[in-house]
Amino acid sequence: MAEPKAKYDRQLRIWGEHGQAALEKATICLLNCGPTGSETLKNLVLGGVGSITVIDGSKVEPGDLGNNFMVDESCVGQSKAKCVCTFLQELNDAVKAKFIEEYPEALIGSNPSFFSQFTIVVATQLVEDSMIKLDKICREANVLLIFARSYGLTGFVRISVKEHAVIESKPDHFLDDLRLNNPWPELKRFAETIDLNVTDPVAHKHTPYVVILVKIVEEWTKAHSGALPSTWDEKKEFKELLKAGMVAMDEDNYKEAIEASFKVFASRGINSDLLRDNA
Amino acid sequence: MQHYTFDCIYLQIDMDTIEVSNLNRQFLFRQSHVGQSKAKVARDAVLRFRPHISITPYHANVKDSDFNVNFFKQFNVVLNGLDNLDARRHVNRLCLAAEVPLVESGTTGFLGQVTVHVKGKTECYECQPKPAPKTYPVCTITSTPSKFVHCIVWAKDLLFAKLFGDKNQENDLNVRSNDSCSSSENKNNVFERSDDEDWEQYGRRIYDHVFGYNIELALSDEETWKNRTKPRPMYSRDVLPDKMTQQNGNADKTDDLSPASAMASLGLKNPQDIWCLMENTRVFLEALKLFFTSRKKEIGNLSFDKDDQLAVEFVTAAANIRAASFNIPLHSLFEAKGIAGNIVHAVATTNAIVAGLIVIEAIKVLKKDGCYRMTYCLEHPSKKMLLMPVEPFEPNKSCCVCSQTPLSLEINTHRSKLRDFVEKIVKAKLGMNSPLIMCGLALLYEVGDDLEKDMIENYTANLEKVLSELPSPVTGGTMLTVEDLQQEFTCNIYIKHREEFDEEKEPDEMVLSGWTQAPPEKKDDKTSIGNGASTSKSLPTEPMYAQKDTEVKEISDGTASPGKKRKLPEFSEGCTLDQSNDADETMNHKKIQKLDDDDDDLVMLDHWGKDTCKKQRSQ
Repeated sequence: MAEPKAKYDRQLRIWGEHGQAALEKATICLLNCGPTGSETLKNLVLGGVGSITVIDGSKVEPGDLGNNFMVDESCVGQSKAKCVCTFLQELNDAVKAKFIEEYPEALIGSNPSFFSQFTIVVATQLVEDSMIKLDKICREANVLLIFARSYGLTGFVRISVKEHAVIESKPDHFLDDLRLNNPWPELKRFAETIDLNVTDPVAHKHTPYVVILVKIVEEWTKAHSGALPSTWDEKKEFKELLKAGMVAMDEDNYKEAIEASFKVFASRGINSDLLRDNA
Repeated sequence: MQHYTFDCIYLQIDMDTIEVSNLNRQFLFRQSHVGQSKAKVARDAVLRFRPHISITPYHANVKDSDFNVNFFKQFNVVLNGLDNLDARRHVNRLCLAAEVPLVESGTTGFLGQVTVHVKGKTECYECQPKPAPKTYPVCTITSTPSKFVHCIVWAKDLLFAKLFGDKNQENDLNVRSNDSCSSSENKNNVFERSDDEDWEQYGRRIYDHVFGYNIELALSDEETWKNRTKPRPMYSRDVLPDKMTQQNGNADKTDDLSPASAMASLGLKNPQDIWCLMENTRVFLEALKLFFTSRKKEIGNLSFDKDDQLAVEFVTAAANIRAASFNIPLHSLFEAKGIAGNIVHAVATTNAIVAGLIVIEAIKVLKKDGCYRMTYCLEHPSKKMLLMPVEPFEPNKSCCVCSQTPLSLEINTHRSKLRDFVEKIVKAKLGMNSPLIMCGLALLYEVGDDLEKDMIENYTANLEKVLSELPSPVTGGTMLTVEDLQQEFTCNIYIKHREEFDEEKEPDEMVLSGWTQAPPEKKDDKTSIGNGASTSKSLPTEPMYAQKDTEVKEISDGTASPGKKRKLPEFSEGCTLDQSNDADETMNHKKIQKLDDDDDDLVMLDHWGKDTCKKQRSQ
């Protein structure tokens, strides 16, 4: 859709168009719509998820009225799945909402292939036995599975997914690669023209911090058979090495070099595990 | 609000109406409610699932004088869901005065926090001064922008204001044009349309002036560009050589039902597209024309509003053209709107988490549990925890709000006027709404509804006087008492006379001290990898360009993770949370007040400085 809906403006600013598109394509199956399940679905529905299917075999009881605001007095005696579904549909009419009045345990046992149609199954308040069965089913069908159980003020959420690729990871910190430990020819040549131990104090404190790092890294790798500082102690040692190069307290370039030394530590290139992986 | 299952009396204050963009998370509201009062609709929604409780909605501003200390005294606890620092400080003071515990909170995207403030036991909301809103140096905005946000501020606070706002307002747009070569006559007439110009000609002339001529003028100062990339002057004849053809829709049509939009006229459909220089130029000219034709009544009175589509289009285009000139990457309307409108990203889940935490703390308050926690929601788990609970600290002994510590102010008493003191210190820094200023027994200034005419005249006159020439002279050594009666907040300020101030670092020529200030953070905090700190981009900023009050140092908002500078707390073993689900049955006759403001909840993140570690923990 070319024009993003104004309704989703605030969340589009978090996950962008692709994130929103992924959400709108997703089909969710909820098992048991008690407070935990309902609350979960509420957040997905508000966000514009593609479709929801609520599976719950129980009827609304008076006790439910105090802890699930998606059911009200008029719902008592009716299918809980139906009532919750109706409420959720109201929250966002762009979402396709369906319900099935059946106990999840029964469905898991009698119709495992039912789950293959979904992107994610959210299974709440299931007992371990059912969770194990469901996990097998979802793994085989390549369906993402999330378990949730709550007990009063405590609970757990457990995700069961296969290894998958995250393409747009939207990192908070972008680690720029200055090629400090593997400078390209021009940088290397430039660094070579500068003498770190120049006697003129003004020149000394104007050496660019990048050059300081390039030179010190070279020194280090020579002394450590090509390896970069990797342990905490080594990194500390590296910083001390930088500090030792300072001749005066006000040398900002050295301070910058020390602060930026982390840019040297991160290993470069493609992770060797990835290179080995044949999958 | 759905969590509150007490049989109590609620009052909620919210001056806002429901907007479409609220609907992705504010689930008590529906599409059909857009435009209605939030307070009222929320009340109705809650009553539907909890029919027998008492909720009173107030569609009003929490700073109204009706909500005084006596009003707040009615409650056992106050819950804040406000979206700006000013209102939060105001409520903080009222809660202190009324001796009612306050549960504060805020969210931004995936981050959020809940804090508890109990007078005498914990820090008040202002014990840790919150970082000042981000401002930019004047010269960066007017002459040497390096980031897109600088261009937005220029387009919004200078160009837009100059063309469509109050003409009598001082404006730095032509600050460079104060050259001997341009006569002042010339300067004033540049923005006036002459009778023989049509709107396109006028638009092009403005374009050429601000993007062409002004840049050429700036380039003539070699010194500025010695270490900077020089900007390129832009002229409309080069970017858009042909006259714009008449687009569909006659601008003079008065019965046009949909609001004017340059994008619509030009057939630009997707706000997420980044327009090229030519498209930006088209939008600039078209938007300008539409303002002056279909919205001419508003000209002279307009201020930028992020929900004003045409204003957003104009500002986006203008900012982009300037950015192109200065080699800064261009942005889409969607992005520009977010920056210009200080839009805070928001999602249902964080709000749900924070709401739950608010209730947990509120229950503790009502049970007089004492085991309060400040809880921070992180974006990524830190040491395997997504929620970081922290024990509250004892009140800050040098907090001028809850500990009534006196402050001192360095000021040139022969040069600074009372007006400067009132606006910048009393209102802005101290957050007072309706201040009263006394020097000894003499009343120098006050704000009030029932003041007599001669008193008002007296105060107005006083504002324009320099301090040393006030009826009761204020000089070095004088102690001023500043009060806000509604907030019941009194502050004593000891005046120290100082002759000279650093033009760049202290442009206001006033330095307030005695209240522990949050130390400024380094601009590039991206160096803090691996310790859970979030980027500054996720943090809200308030109006970015304060006309005369810009400070040279960019004080960025604190990072989200207080864990950055202090170790994680140990959980005290003696503290047990109430595990029962039957909390609702036991809470009778307790009163809770919920305060909301705008739709966009901001997180006011505490800045955890070095001295935090030394403070006492409260038990």
